[in-house]
Amino acid sequence: MLFHTWTFALFFAIFYPVYLLVKGTRLKLPWLFLASYVFYGWWNPVYLLLIVWSTTVDYLAVLGMSRSRWKGPWLAMSLVNNLGLLGFFKYGPFVAENLTALLAWLGIPYEVPPPDFLLPVGISFFVFQSMSYTIDYYRGNVHCEPNFIRYATFVSLFPQLVAGPIERASNLLPQLYGTPRITREDLGDGFSLFVVGLFKKVALADYLAQYVDPIYSAPSQYSAAALLLATFAFAWQIYFDFSGYTDMARGIARVMGFRLMLNFNNPYLATGLGDFWRRWHISLSTWFRDYVYVPLGGNRTGTFATYRNLCMTMLVSGLWHGAAWTFVVWGALHALGYSLTRALETSTVYRRRVPKWAKQAGTFLFVLFTWIFFRAESMADAGIIVRRIAEFGMEDPVCPVLMLAMVAAVWLYQRLYESEARWVLRPAPVRIGLVVLMIGYLAVFGVSSGQAFIYFQF
Amino acid sequence: MSNSTVAELPEPPDLVQVSGEEPETPFGSNELRLSLSEWFAVAFVVCALAYAVPILWKQIEPLQCGPDYRVPFRLGNDYWAIERWIDEAASWGGTLVVGDSVVWGHYVAKDAALPHFLNERTQSDRFANLGIDGIHPAALLGLVKHYGRAVRGRDVVLHCNLLWMSSKRHDLTEEKEFALNHPKLVPQFFARIPCYRESLSGRLGNVIGREVPLLGWASHLQIAYFDNSDLATWTLDRPYECPARAVTLRLPSPDEPPAPEPVARPWTEQGIDRFGPAWVELETSFQWHCFRRTVELLQQRNNRVFVVLGPFNEHMLGDESCRVYQARKQAAESWLRQHSVPCCIAAPLPSRLYADASHPLAEGYRMLADQLLENEQFQRFCGIRRQ
Repeated sequence: MLFHTWTFALFFAIFYPVYLLVKGTRLKLPWLFLASYVFYGWWNPVYLLLIVWSTTVDYLAVLGMSRSRWKGPWLAMSLVNNLGLLGFFKYGPFVAENLTALLAWLGIPYEVPPPDFLLPVGISFFVFQSMSYTIDYYRGNVHCEPNFIRYATFVSLFPQLVAGPIERASNLLPQLYGTPRITREDLGDGFSLFVVGLFKKVALADYLAQYVDPIYSAPSQYSAAALLLATFAFAWQIYFDFSGYTDMARGIARVMGFRLMLNFNNPYLATGLGDFWRRWHISLSTWFRDYVYVPLGGNRTGTFATYRNLCMTMLVSGLWHGAAWTFVVWGALHALGYSLTRALETSTVYRRRVPKWAKQAGTFLFVLFTWIFFRAESMADAGIIVRRIAEFGMEDPVCPVLMLAMVAAVWLYQRLYESEARWVLRPAPVRIGLVVLMIGYLAVFGVSSGQAFIYFQF
Repeated sequence: MSNSTVAELPEPPDLVQVSGEEPETPFGSNELRLSLSEWFAVAFVVCALAYAVPILWKQIEPLQCGPDYRVPFRLGNDYWAIERWIDEAASWGGTLVVGDSVVWGHYVAKDAALPHFLNERTQSDRFANLGIDGIHPAALLGLVKHYGRAVRGRDVVLHCNLLWMSSKRHDLTEEKEFALNHPKLVPQFFARIPCYRESLSGRLGNVIGREVPLLGWASHLQIAYFDNSDLATWTLDRPYECPARAVTLRLPSPDEPPAPEPVARPWTEQGIDRFGPAWVELETSFQWHCFRRTVELLQQRNNRVFVVLGPFNEHMLGDESCRVYQARKQAAESWLRQHSVPCCIAAPLPSRLYADASHPLAEGYRMLADQLLENEQFQRFCGIRRQ
């Protein structure tokens, strides 16, 4: 069930009035739990078995830890289970493909049969969310949650279930206690977030996708200009798509009285790769920080180890995004860029003399380059794209001016928002006018959209 | 946030603690934040615009519908424009000729279709062409129900084309999915159409689209000015054109032929073979059920209804098939008589006057108009005497 479909509108129209009635009663959790499972099961009810399994194992693991002197085996059980699920469902085909290639290289003509199933939607998100709970309990950061339904609702709460933000038990579980307070501010903010997210997805991301998809499907048929513009368009497409989803998720949660964490903060205005990862998919980067980078030693064990830990974290992050070498290379490039900008940022000259706009432009161009590997359908395609861009063929890219103008308008809006002239956007008529324009655009031109979100595949 | 059961998470070290300042954590990644009272203002403005824009648009976009006007082929799925024409035709106070492409005149110009000859023979402008190319009884029911409210109390000549009951596919009772005509008009929920596999979201969208004029108007813009595509697709085909300039406020002409342009020649000259369709039983036919519902709906709305059945091209049918067709025709006539619906069972036209199984050529329409005007029930229905 996608947020920008009429099905979701119907689902929410049924869910919300009942929720308002029961939110102060003992029926609140069962109702939230039921709604979340209906939401998730809408794609394929069989997927529910997976989420039930993951939730049950982690619930029992924490319960076991709470009753045992030996927490390690329980944590190991949780980690093996979660990583096993992820490995089997998400990386099974990748492993099979590479094993076959390895065997062929060794002269053994055997094709390892790839698993024949669809990747369950949002598996990387709910598995990470559930796993963080067991790790946090092991570390003594959270208490054991004795109520299974509350815990299952924490894992499956529908606004954030399939594409995040990846919430921590310390933030979301406490919100599932007591009666959620829904204020006028929550309603206003919730609507604001939802409409902005809807506009990002339907008016911008889906529009950009129509330009990007054919070019990245057959990159050898396009000139450097078209490939450059398609890469530029993809950078904005993925931002609008994913941050649009997050905005909608946060907006829906907000009108239910829940506050989900911020996941995007104008990432293309970042002044370095470190800054970029503090602005892009914040819930994931903080997850990797807390559960991968810090356990590896973080920045406490010397310069070399810091860079090594950084690179390993970024490589794992790349692999989290998808089971393909293109994602590994994408992660490696980010590791390289992160290390370079970190080194640069230690220099006083770089920090003080290089203007902010140059840092922003440099960071954006680097991120743009890495998106080639993220979006390319194979390493061979990525190679073709890089080579053709280097050839610098400047045939007509056939890129709609309107599309570029819309991206420019958003970029200008962000610049304006972060500048001293921010007051221009403050008066109520300006904000109301902008929202009316967005809703008008969606009503008139956005009615036929129904594309899924890019991050659902992760 | 109150938290009595969960300990606070200690602040972990930053991934890289070099750049120093943490960015301020804003409310959203592109802050556009409205209070609840400002949202009420937005709701008011949006509702006012949604109500006013389609109405104002009718003032600035002329609908030049003179005698013999019919819905331009390109606007065949533009139900907002069709409703506009229905409103206009109903306001004239004449007789509305409603039906599929047989009424519309698929193979002929607008001044060679059935309503034209009825006007010509009666020396009046009382018959308006409300035929829609490609529409079938299930969709016609939806059209009348949702877009034909203005027809209330008018005289309606309703054409019944038994072609839509000539096979399970035509009858929409085939299990195999296929792209049916006018899917937005067919019942979305309360009648199972096995070959129609639209998603729940799509069906809900179709239902809402019928009830919200702004959405109909938006669809009209896309169909009339953006080649029946959304703005994004249109600009991808014309990257350097300004979309605003495409909105010329000039609607397609009703003289425009269908695309691809049909060959207006007798079926016998087109190499079409005789065929033997597997007619469905009227009792179980979905299309016949919808046709009956249309008649009943029109009657409930105080319309006087006259049904024209046929003329189907019986020359195309094999002997056995023709026999079954005759039985279906009789069953249909019987139902109409039982329910006191005045009707004319059109006699078959000469073979050379058909372009295919059900569409007459211009001369065929002239002959059909003559048949109707000689029919006593039709004369009574129209209040005319003909020598």
